[in-house]
Amino acid sequence: MFEKKQKRSFKEWFHTYEGQKLYVSALFLLVPLVLLLTFTFVPAFNMITYSFQERDQFGVDPQFVGFDNYKTIFTNPDYFITFKNSLYYLVGSVVQQIVALLLASILCSEIRAKGFFKGVLFFPYLMNGVAVSIIFLRFFTKGNPPLTQEGTLNSVLQMFGIDPVRWMDAANPVLVNCCLVFVSIWRYIGFDIIMYIGAIQSISPDLYEACDLDGANPFQRFRYIVFPSIKPIISLQLILAVKGAISVFEIPYIITGGNYGTSTFVIKTIETAFKKKQVGLASAMAVVLLIIIIIVTLVQKFMFRDESEVEARESAKKKRLKMSEKGAA
Amino acid sequence: MKVGKLTSAGLAALLLAAVFTGCGSSSEGDTTASSGNVDTAASTADAAKTDNTAGDKAVLEVLTNRTDRVDDGSLDELTKAFEDANNCDVQYVGYQDYAGTVATRMGTDDYGDVLMIPDDVELKDLSNFFDSIGTYDELSAKYRWADKKMDADKNVYGLAYGGNAVGVLYNKKVWADAGITTMPKTPDEFLADLKLIADKTDAIPYYTQYKDASWTITQWQSLVLSASGNANYENDLLTKKLDLFAEDGGYYPVYKLMFDLFSTPDLIEEDHMTTEWESSKVWMGEGKIGTMVMGSWAVAQFQEKAEDPSVIGYMPVPITAADGKQYAETTSDYCVGVNKNSKNKELAKKYVDWFVGESGFAAKEGMIPTTIDSALPDNLSEFSGAEFFEKTPTPEELIGKFDEIDTKSGVSVWGGDTDNFKIKLAEAAFAGKGEDEFKSIIAAESEKWAKARDEVLG
Repeated sequence: MFEKKQKRSFKEWFHTYEGQKLYVSALFLLVPLVLLLTFTFVPAFNMITYSFQERDQFGVDPQFVGFDNYKTIFTNPDYFITFKNSLYYLVGSVVQQIVALLLASILCSEIRAKGFFKGVLFFPYLMNGVAVSIIFLRFFTKGNPPLTQEGTLNSVLQMFGIDPVRWMDAANPVLVNCCLVFVSIWRYIGFDIIMYIGAIQSISPDLYEACDLDGANPFQRFRYIVFPSIKPIISLQLILAVKGAISVFEIPYIITGGNYGTSTFVIKTIETAFKKKQVGLASAMAVVLLIIIIIVTLVQKFMFRDESEVEARESAKKKRLKMSEKGAA
Repeated sequence: MKVGKLTSAGLAALLLAAVFTGCGSSSEGDTTASSGNVDTAASTADAAKTDNTAGDKAVLEVLTNRTDRVDDGSLDELTKAFEDANNCDVQYVGYQDYAGTVATRMGTDDYGDVLMIPDDVELKDLSNFFDSIGTYDELSAKYRWADKKMDADKNVYGLAYGGNAVGVLYNKKVWADAGITTMPKTPDEFLADLKLIADKTDAIPYYTQYKDASWTITQWQSLVLSASGNANYENDLLTKKLDLFAEDGGYYPVYKLMFDLFSTPDLIEEDHMTTEWESSKVWMGEGKIGTMVMGSWAVAQFQEKAEDPSVIGYMPVPITAADGKQYAETTSDYCVGVNKNSKNKELAKKYVDWFVGESGFAAKEGMIPTTIDSALPDNLSEFSGAEFFEKTPTPEELIGKFDEIDTKSGVSVWGGDTDNFKIKLAEAAFAGKGEDEFKSIIAAESEKWAKARDEVLG
């Protein structure tokens, strides 16, 4: 029987169930694999090669320059400032988590029209980032009399008798960045609120009942019941915030175009590639971004690996140890 | 079972096909979107072909970038005289994305009889695509910019249909209301005049267009050659290894003027981040804005939006060169050439002669006409005191070197990216950082430039 199987011709094998299973699945897999290779892996590999070269956008006569491009990113202040700007967004997202948690706790308590408020708070997240940016461009406008009116924010301030402020002020990049961070918080906070509401609602009501019986006040309830239960979600959100902070793009790109010291890493990468035409340097920036994202993802995976997975791996390790002990004996 | 296999194979094929046509059709969609004229253009081209076989009139197909003048019919109207005189039919085909579309058509033999020569075609390749119109020695006596599309043997393959002068756009009424009678000749006079406008009128003296800085700020760069008063300045920067921001050069006075202007809050708008390009055309016409640095191409656009087009004026660069004269660089627009594969070459050449010479198209568009003896257009009447010159061509051994240094150093003289020195200067000025900041920015740029120059030129 065994010999017979080996002698079977290719044509016969082609018609068997096993054969079909193999080549049909291979054919089906081929389509996504070819697409993945041509549109993801080949370009990514090229990008890594380019990042060690000095090359223009046509790729005429590229020169190998070693790690010069990477050196530029971390030493040239024009490029390094983008990391500084990322810190604004990082701090912003910490604030965002705190506010989101607060709003989520309020929305989980006994208040009226919960659904309505949830909808209102989540709505900005559904809006397109470009639309949000254009709305806030108007919001922060300082009018140019006699040409244009004051923007929304300044008009409101004027109603309270406060002089209009120039929000987008070249002399004050900190203020400009804070305005942009505010827009970012406004846009993304809805998502966080929903995440926290989900986490808080999954806490067993028995625990609440127990702490009510013990006479805990709302703060104590939050400190000893809610917070410990949703800690994993909070750390996950904070890790995602790092990713978000380094890859901020559309809000500053549309509101300031990266001027006034608000350039972010992604904006700078695009400008380097398509405006300054230094494709090598831009590729190096893309690689740096890729590496940062990979590191953050690994940290996230490591901290939030499945408990059962860990147990399974450990028990397997023990088994292996036992086996080797037996073998030695 | 077989049917099932066939279906799955078919499905896979379909999926692949869908993916690839998906890519294809989306890029087609892009071209249609970017050039609203493609459909009509194609249909006129088809019409031209059928006419060609049916009628006895010769047909000339002319490819042009001026879709605006094809659409409003003014080109057809203008061409009637030529058609009647030569018993022919001229068909205009306009492309919005001219250089890109024509480059594709030039992959075949069919790219019209007469066309604007795309600047991507290298000078040494001109003879592969175009028929020579004449030699430089014949044509340069009669036409400006005859050397623009010339090969090494001095055969000319195309003539510019018009040219632009470099200067500053302003509202005549606002300037007159402020009591200014003579045009400024130096940066100090210019700033003093703007101050007068601020004091005596309600208009904003200067509008920075900073929201669109990535291109509007590059308009300042076009003043550089005029300010230097040296047609050979760009080459001298390389051969004489001049300091990029030398005080007697072209860059320093232009960017010093920009810095001083942007440092004075009274002379510019309050919020630079929300300037509006399209609306500014109307505001300028209404006299709410006094001045803007823009190429003369903008004059026609601003006049179109103004209630009274005559208020839009154009003045020479308010910078006097070292020799005490005011200069204005002129630059040519597209050059018109004849397709080497055309069936009606003689007629096509006649058309080129007529279009750049007698048609009066350039004058109508407010451009400098190509014929040397023709009068300047009205909008350049302020330029009578200034001396016109054209940039001298780059010598063979330096071709491409300027751009190479420009990219390598990261100075990017024509760029408007956020690291560009123009943006840095503007923002330092807005923030009121003063003279020292200006000096340190230009010193850094000069150093970057010099380093790259020494690397490239050895």
